[in-house]
Amino acid sequence: MEPEVVEAELVLPTHMKFKKIQMYEKYPKGQARVRWKHLKQIIQAENYQNYPPDVPNYVNIESPPSMRPCKRICDVTGYEAPYFDPRTKLRYANAEVFKVIRSLPNDYVQRYLALRNAAVVLR
Amino acid sequence: ILDFGFDRLGADQSQINHPVLITECACNPVQSRSKMAELLFESYGVPSVAFGVDAAFSYKYNQQLGICSNDGLAICSGFNTSHVIPFLNGEPVYDACCRTNVGGYHVTDYLKQLLSLKYPHHMSKLTWEKVEDLKMEHCYIAPDYAAEVRLFQKGDKKAEEKTRCWQLPWTPSPMEEAPSEEEIARKAALKEKQGQRLREMAEAKRSNRINDLENEIRDLEMLLQRLRHATENDIPLILAKTVYISKHDVESALAKATQSLRKAKGEPVESVEKMDPSSTEKYNLINVPDEMLTPEQLKQKRKQLFIKSTSEARQLKKQKQVEEELERERQRKLEEERRLENPERYLEELHAKHRDLSEKVEQRKKLKTNGGHTNGNHNASGGVGRGERLNPSQRERMRLLTTAAFDRGKGEDTFGAKDEDWQLYKLMSKDNDDDDDDKPDPDEAELARISSRLQEIDPTFIFKSESGSSSAEPPRFRPLTKEDFQIILGVERFRCPEILFNPNLIGIDQAGLDEMAGISIRRLPSKGQGLEEKITSSILLIGGSCLFPGMSERLEAGIRMTRPCGTPIKIYEASDPILDAWRGASTYAAAMQFPQQTFSRMDYYEKGEDWLRSYELRASIDETVDTIAAALHI
Repeated sequence: MEPEVVEAELVLPTHMKFKKIQMYEKYPKGQARVRWKHLKQIIQAENYQNYPPDVPNYVNIESPPSMRPCKRICDVTGYEAPYFDPRTKLRYANAEVFKVIRSLPNDYVQRYLALRNAAVVLR
Repeated sequence: ILDFGFDRLGADQSQINHPVLITECACNPVQSRSKMAELLFESYGVPSVAFGVDAAFSYKYNQQLGICSNDGLAICSGFNTSHVIPFLNGEPVYDACCRTNVGGYHVTDYLKQLLSLKYPHHMSKLTWEKVEDLKMEHCYIAPDYAAEVRLFQKGDKKAEEKTRCWQLPWTPSPMEEAPSEEEIARKAALKEKQGQRLREMAEAKRSNRINDLENEIRDLEMLLQRLRHATENDIPLILAKTVYISKHDVESALAKATQSLRKAKGEPVESVEKMDPSSTEKYNLINVPDEMLTPEQLKQKRKQLFIKSTSEARQLKKQKQVEEELERERQRKLEEERRLENPERYLEELHAKHRDLSEKVEQRKKLKTNGGHTNGNHNASGGVGRGERLNPSQRERMRLLTTAAFDRGKGEDTFGAKDEDWQLYKLMSKDNDDDDDDKPDPDEAELARISSRLQEIDPTFIFKSESGSSSAEPPRFRPLTKEDFQIILGVERFRCPEILFNPNLIGIDQAGLDEMAGISIRRLPSKGQGLEEKITSSILLIGGSCLFPGMSERLEAGIRMTRPCGTPIKIYEASDPILDAWRGASTYAAAMQFPQQTFSRMDYYEKGEDWLRSYELRASIDETVDTIAAALHI
């Protein structure tokens, strides 16, 4: 954090003169805090299908999947990884890494896979 | 945030009387805009509001500074996303802009996960803020990922230089100094005193007991005397006062008391001698043949037989133990002699034995864990399935199961109908358990013995623990050294920002920064050869995540790959990537024409939120009249 921010007092007075509706009026004690809408909900509410597709909107301008071949690196060390372990589904670079992978407990395996977004999600 | 900002800016009237300019991301959803407008108008009473894209402001600002020209490309990598927006004639072309959902947040998160997986026992030190600091200080972008990684893999000297080491605060555990002479003497004296005290207590107890016993004996003798002198009739009367039932009882009690007294006094107990005559008494019935005894005596005889056999067995066992002890002593002496005469050879032999045994134990462990793993993973592949059955106990188990299933046959499975069938499982699991438990034990015990011997003899021998623990636990038998508290950033330094160029590493299926530039140019509605060249010759880097060293070289190389050969590519870095957007916005707002670009509260109330959808800020403000008319294009 920048030092100026740290030095400044981060406590605000409760009553702001310029605000019409104060914070404590909006959220009286004991009530639920504000729930922000998730991005997915916002996008859904937009109904982008109803509008012509060539007008740019939030969903339109997303970039497409990459055209380049996927770069395979080892999950544990980061080296180039030509090999793939079928049991744990991790990529590894050489035999020592393989030994390490086989000795990992299960939740570590899941976490490595989650890094790559390849973990098995049980809901 | 708004509260804080207004408060610090010194707003103290009942409402904010200034128009507000808010930066947003490209193609902001209407919802966000409307919510923000609502907040500003309703809560704060702002007279007019304008929304603008931060990248555009930044670009304009830098254009004014002369860094980039009228047509160009803005590559803005922010915290959550990265945008690429082309500019034509100073205006952002939103049709061709491109967004990838990878930003500084993802880089920091990746680094945090990697480090906590590698150093789980330092997880408490790896807070988000700390990792972000680490990232800003140490991460860089390699011009070619594969080449860098190969350097590290080979263990090159350059790789050593690039590795950074973070030393956590660490206090060495206080070493146990060898107790000095005085310490030893003091401890010995203490022990002596304690021993003395215990002995005194024992003595006191013993003398008490002796006194009691003597008293008891005296009473009993007196009682006996009275009984002897008394007549037959008086005996029950006298005895009723005491605990004893008959004269016989009294006599036996007296005998017991005298015996214990003798024991307490430390005289040799006569019980041993008594055993032999009593044994002959006890076992007298055994030798007498059966027919001559009454049923009661038969019972007694059986009891005596039993007692005799058990005591004999006990004696035999004792003898065997003594013999084993002697044997072991002898062996130890032999070994000692062997060691003394040829210490080196002995050591070598011991080492060899240790190695063999450790290999065997490891192999068995591997087999066990492999079997366990495959059992747990329901693996369907045939090769692995075969490995599961190779263990002889497992084979036995399968055989039993299949024979049991087969016996019933004829389409009906009546396996569990009879109770005896379930005995099968008892057989099986016993085999399994026996195999698993018995075999490793003698070997492991042997291994432990040898290693302890080696530890005593050989100062250089380090016992490698066979615990087979995961990499998560450090071996605990040696004191934690300085190295344990170091976090080494080697490959991670350039592996983490790599995800900006290759989001596949995280699993996000989108294009990286360099590819995005190509895509954006491709999406331009109006093409023309000169146009593309103009664009690529003025590329601006903005946003916090473009501060990584090595970013511009990598980008240049990447963009060159997608463009036809020989196009001029010039990449400029903004004067202040983080705050440029604000500076641009402030200059924009300070311009005279700004009030026309905003929409006021009246507009908001009349036209409603949906109108915001088509609201677009015109980036360049000229002094001409036409632009004023075309300012708010609806």
